[in-house]
Amino acid sequence: MNSFQKISQALNLKSNIVYLGFLVIFSFFVIMLYDDGFLSTRNLSNIILQTAPSTIMAIGLVFALSAGEIDLSFGSIVAVSALTTAVVMQDYPIFIAVTAGMMSGLAIGALNGTLVAYLKLPSFLVTLATMGLFAGVARAMTNLRSIPAIDPSFTGIFGSGKLFGVPSLIIWTFVAVVVGHIVYRESKFGAHVIATGDNARAAQVSGIRVNRIRLYVLSLSGACAGLAGILYTGRIQAAKYTLGEADLMTVIAAVIVGGTALNGGKGSIIGALAGSLLMGMLNNGLILMQYSVSQQMMVRGLIILIAVAISLRDTSR
Amino acid sequence: MKYKSLIGATAMLFALTASSVLAETVGPGGESATKSSTVIVSDELAKSVSSKGYTAALLWHDQSEFVNAVSLGATDEFARMGIKIVATTSAGFDAAKQRSDIENAMIKSPNIILSLPLDPDTSAAAFAEARDAGVSLVFLSNLPSNYKHPTDYAAIVTDDLFQMGKQAADALANSMGGKGTVGWIFHDASYYVTNQRDNAFKTTIENDYPNMSIVAEQGISDPARAEEIANAMLIKNPDLGGIYVTWAGPAEGVLAALRSNGNKTTKIVTLDLSEPIALDMVSGGNVVALIADEAYELGRAMAAAAVLKLEGKDVPPFVVAPAVTVTADNISEGWMKSLHAEAPKSLMGK
Repeated sequence: MNSFQKISQALNLKSNIVYLGFLVIFSFFVIMLYDDGFLSTRNLSNIILQTAPSTIMAIGLVFALSAGEIDLSFGSIVAVSALTTAVVMQDYPIFIAVTAGMMSGLAIGALNGTLVAYLKLPSFLVTLATMGLFAGVARAMTNLRSIPAIDPSFTGIFGSGKLFGVPSLIIWTFVAVVVGHIVYRESKFGAHVIATGDNARAAQVSGIRVNRIRLYVLSLSGACAGLAGILYTGRIQAAKYTLGEADLMTVIAAVIVGGTALNGGKGSIIGALAGSLLMGMLNNGLILMQYSVSQQMMVRGLIILIAVAISLRDTSR
Repeated sequence: MKYKSLIGATAMLFALTASSVLAETVGPGGESATKSSTVIVSDELAKSVSSKGYTAALLWHDQSEFVNAVSLGATDEFARMGIKIVATTSAGFDAAKQRSDIENAMIKSPNIILSLPLDPDTSAAAFAEARDAGVSLVFLSNLPSNYKHPTDYAAIVTDDLFQMGKQAADALANSMGGKGTVGWIFHDASYYVTNQRDNAFKTTIENDYPNMSIVAEQGISDPARAEEIANAMLIKNPDLGGIYVTWAGPAEGVLAALRSNGNKTTKIVTLDLSEPIALDMVSGGNVVALIADEAYELGRAMAAAAVLKLEGKDVPPFVVAPAVTVTADNISEGWMKSLHAEAPKSLMGK
């Protein structure tokens, strides 16, 4: 055992890297940007608002990864859901539009799940294919046009509104994290997800219907992406085919840094939240530090690399 | 090139008249274009501004050589006026990130924001906070929906799109002696910038050069298919005198097709600077001219317009920077004029 492993084990780095990393980077920005508004309520609120959609995508991905599957299509689902919501809203009430957006996400997730669970296709390849397929669908839906979504009730509930002074996106994040955490940690479904990802054969022998679990987690991931698309639409008051495109790597990094195992059987919703906020804080802090765009990308990449390397390092070997 | 394509996807508001007589780029409300060279901050005003502690944020849509040149033009102009740049971002064509970038930059309370709104609809809400805070907004090539001049923004600054297409036609016609057949490879998508440039080329050939005719038209959406499109065009029209290619990326494929056919006579003209294409041009190959925008001048004019607005001066709503025709004879000057950078070494001394 080398010195890194000893220190790592003593601090339980592997399990707590996201919280330690969050603390270290937060402290760094507080010191460096104390006079630049980093600690202001407005800025801290901005970070949570900006990361709300990716946090919700991350929750879905925690379930998928924990069950031993992966979903690469959630970015495309975000775009389809957002456009569906905005298009339907032009002619129908908000409730129907939001339902249609959510259902589109759920349906694509269910398609992924069906192909994986019952046609025995690997989720990596299935969702890689549907990522491309639905990216094309999103482009074709409105012929590359963006669709405005400026209904005040809709933008209030899903974007810029507040309830008792708390921004609606923070409420959505809080509710999603609490529900996600309880389902993941406290419910029989959550236990079955983890058991499936840990050892599918053993799970099946013990009576868990692993194919159904696979269908459910990929459907859930699609539904979460659908909700994220609706929140994006509310936040920017329009839907566009590019929404969600850039989130794939950020969300996967947030989930891995947050302590979810790539090969299944282990995950954390709270960790995913911390990972998502860490990514948002990095974006925010590096801009406020007046780094050039190239410097921002390099520093962000380096920090993610270090965090992922530590969180994935198996100290028992 | 990519920055330009996004603008079209948003059904940009600008209109362009099609007649060769009246052809010019006009603004969203039909405003006539003002030349960027007239948008100037005098030395006297610059000196008085330098004591006011203004700050600026450059919130771009993406990173590219073009954006670097625009940034450099703006940065140099701001430096002349003692204005500090407090944030620089790139949204990577992501409308949600553009909104986040604006929110993050607003924490620094900049007096000025220079930006290319990714899309009229998505950017309307994104820039609202900055607009409501009285920030002097100058937009590159695109305008958020329902923003009014001069209350909501200082100016839109863009390329003279018609001139780019027209100068491409003039350069090709000049190389062909004003006669012969032409192939027109246009961008087959609803993209404002490329559509306007492509149509300006076609209109100019049809109206201004009676002894030239466009005998082959082919749209392209994937630059990787340019070589096969050019090959098909040449099989049908082996005596083609010249080919217009919508931008430099696909022009590389067209050039490859000509080379593989041993064709040394068909001329190529295209838009935007590209080292491989320019290398063929300076080596006496098929390429006769590249038409570029003056990116550095775009940035300078954006910075000047923003400061004039802050100082309560009248700012024209719609400002265009000129196009530059780059040939083998002016490669060094053309590169400097467009990007404010030395031409690549491979192009020098040929």
